[in-house]
Amino acid sequence: MERNTRLKHIILIKRKNNLVILISFDIDGTMEIGDPPGAVTLEMVKTARAKGIITGSCSDRPMSAQRALWKEYGVEYDFVCYKHLLSDLKTQFKAEEYYHVGDRDDLDRKYAIQAGFGFFWPDEAAANPLLL
Amino acid sequence: MKQGVIPDEFTAPFWSAANESKLVIQNCSQCDRLQHPPAQDCGQCKSGDNLEWKEMSGTGHIYNYGVVHDCPIRLLQDDQPFNVAVIMLDDDPDIQMYSHLPGTPVDDVPVGAAVEVVFEKSANGQKIPEWKVVK
Amino acid sequence: MATGYAPSSMYRSREGMGVWEHRGKVAAVGVGHSPTERRWDEKPETSVGAWSIMALRNAIADAGIAPDQVDGIVIVPETTTGAFWPDDKPLPQDVIEAFVQTNDPLDGVAKLSVDWLLKNMPELTNINYSVYAPVCMSNALNVAAQVVGDGLAHTVLVLKAWHNLQGRYYQGGQNAQDVIGGTSAIRSLWGAPACYGTALQFAEYCRKYGKDHDMLTPFIINSRRNGLMFPEGYWAQHRPEELTPEDYQLARWIAKPANLFDNDIPIMCAASYLFTTAERAKDMKQKPVYILNHADSDAVPRGLTPTLDEVESECAFTGRKIYEGAGITAAELSFENMYDGFTQFHQFHLEGLGYRGIGVGDALDFYQTDISIEGPNPVSPSGGNIGSGRSRFWMHTDSIQQLQGRAGGRQITGVNAEIGVSGGPMPLGGNYTVWSATPD
Repeated sequence: MERNTRLKHIILIKRKNNLVILISFDIDGTMEIGDPPGAVTLEMVKTARAKGIITGSCSDRPMSAQRALWKEYGVEYDFVCYKHLLSDLKTQFKAEEYYHVGDRDDLDRKYAIQAGFGFFWPDEAAANPLLL
Repeated sequence: MKQGVIPDEFTAPFWSAANESKLVIQNCSQCDRLQHPPAQDCGQCKSGDNLEWKEMSGTGHIYNYGVVHDCPIRLLQDDQPFNVAVIMLDDDPDIQMYSHLPGTPVDDVPVGAAVEVVFEKSANGQKIPEWKVVK
Repeated sequence: MATGYAPSSMYRSREGMGVWEHRGKVAAVGVGHSPTERRWDEKPETSVGAWSIMALRNAIADAGIAPDQVDGIVIVPETTTGAFWPDDKPLPQDVIEAFVQTNDPLDGVAKLSVDWLLKNMPELTNINYSVYAPVCMSNALNVAAQVVGDGLAHTVLVLKAWHNLQGRYYQGGQNAQDVIGGTSAIRSLWGAPACYGTALQFAEYCRKYGKDHDMLTPFIINSRRNGLMFPEGYWAQHRPEELTPEDYQLARWIAKPANLFDNDIPIMCAASYLFTTAERAKDMKQKPVYILNHADSDAVPRGLTPTLDEVESECAFTGRKIYEGAGITAAELSFENMYDGFTQFHQFHLEGLGYRGIGVGDALDFYQTDISIEGPNPVSPSGGNIGSGRSRFWMHTDSIQQLQGRAGGRQITGVNAEIGVSGGPMPLGGNYTVWSATPD
């Protein structure tokens, strides 16, 4: 089964069981508001939140700047953090599934795996039913 | 994993000695002055006529260290974070070498501790001088 | 026009040279900047060449003179911040052809020559003297001051520009290879990033004097605050974000003890200054800022990387040269704008200057006092590279503007701006200029 379809299958089952999911988003290279812009749109984040998903950003941008960015675009968020502190989110939020979306193998993917998060590249996340 | 090394003519003696598990440092026989990194001329007399390679004892001490978390070299990125220490040779404390300090936990480096040289293979089999804390 | 690098005789590298022979006789009269961008979008109008021309024209206009009054030019031909045009990437022909070309297709794209500039600035009809300075604006300023002082040219443009290409910093080239050459390997095999050497010095400093990383926090906050009041700078133009102590202290390590915000970011930008004789400066538009001295540090470390002892010794030596040639003491400095590209060596420059009487081991404690532009001890009023991105010239622009009363929101108010010093980059290896509101 193709990877994204397999993930879609798993995630739909979990949503059906009302599991709590947390998704953190890198900004630059990942989100449309980043520099460079990435595939994940603000609408996708809003869609995820409407489904009850815990969302926030996890970026190299200063945390105060991350908060300001969400506020500037009028999108609610549950957290901001730095990439290397992803694992702290597991202490702050009790969820059954944790995912991080980012564009860097040596930072986003590495820290996600270290923290025990699932990982999506930006274009994978943008095609994921959780955000659509 | 360290990148492989293709010795060039200038530094061939250093790398050739490393493959024999020997540590050599460039020396000006006129000034009796070691220098590292090697150069085309002696840093003191400015002549290149008396440069030779001299074998070292292979002992030193840890002068300082940092911990690399974001490395520009692709082959080392999977190893992050790692120690990068500066070793001062007992033969001449002005001579410094870098080391990943194999066997020493990351960010738990005993500054000032005695070390001895060991030789590890890099990506193309070339041996590289490294340093281990003497227990 | 054949242009070579400035000879070593133009630099003041030794102690015991006495007061600079042209003290107070050379003045800065024009400042010009380009916009900034994070990376080049590969369009002709935003190329390093285009922005260099813009900065030069802005400096001329700022001085209020006609271009044909300029008879000399000093530029830094290297424009790379670590990014080189990839060998396998097609040349940007549309950019190259948008300008009058030299025989080097990367001229104006990833490097600069005097020839390229003069071909594309036909208004500069009277350039009789040109010279290159290596690497940094700080170096070029020293050379330009000496050129005017020596009478090699009377009205001189000084230029430094930076390009920054798409892609991640330092990730390509040799660093992406599985094997490297033996000479490079001796230094680079262990993967230390650019900030590593300074981080080591800082680590030793903290051990020696009982300090810690978080004591840098006020300096970082102050620098970004000041930088956000620099309209020419990157952060002010693109991401006007203050930094909080939490932002700084929790940031990830690059080479511990240097974290992400202890490093500046590479950007695209250009700046130019116009120097002339003190006599001619009287008739120009802006208040002249006089150069009392320039000093050069050409030290090299004994080993692979400078030790703290070497850094402290060299910074003190630089301080002595600065004051000797200017005929002043540390007590006469109104402000300092020493380099901060790595935050962790700014303190070494401060201690070497003996700024406000501090000595070795004192700077981090000094940072905990009032170092603001409103206070009695302004530190880095320009905000430096931390405040505005990597240019290595914010410090010079600010110094000139402080002494002219043109620093806007950054104008120091706790002391009168009378004499300042700016320069860098490294504790071992840098160039420094002493500026004054009056010629004596």
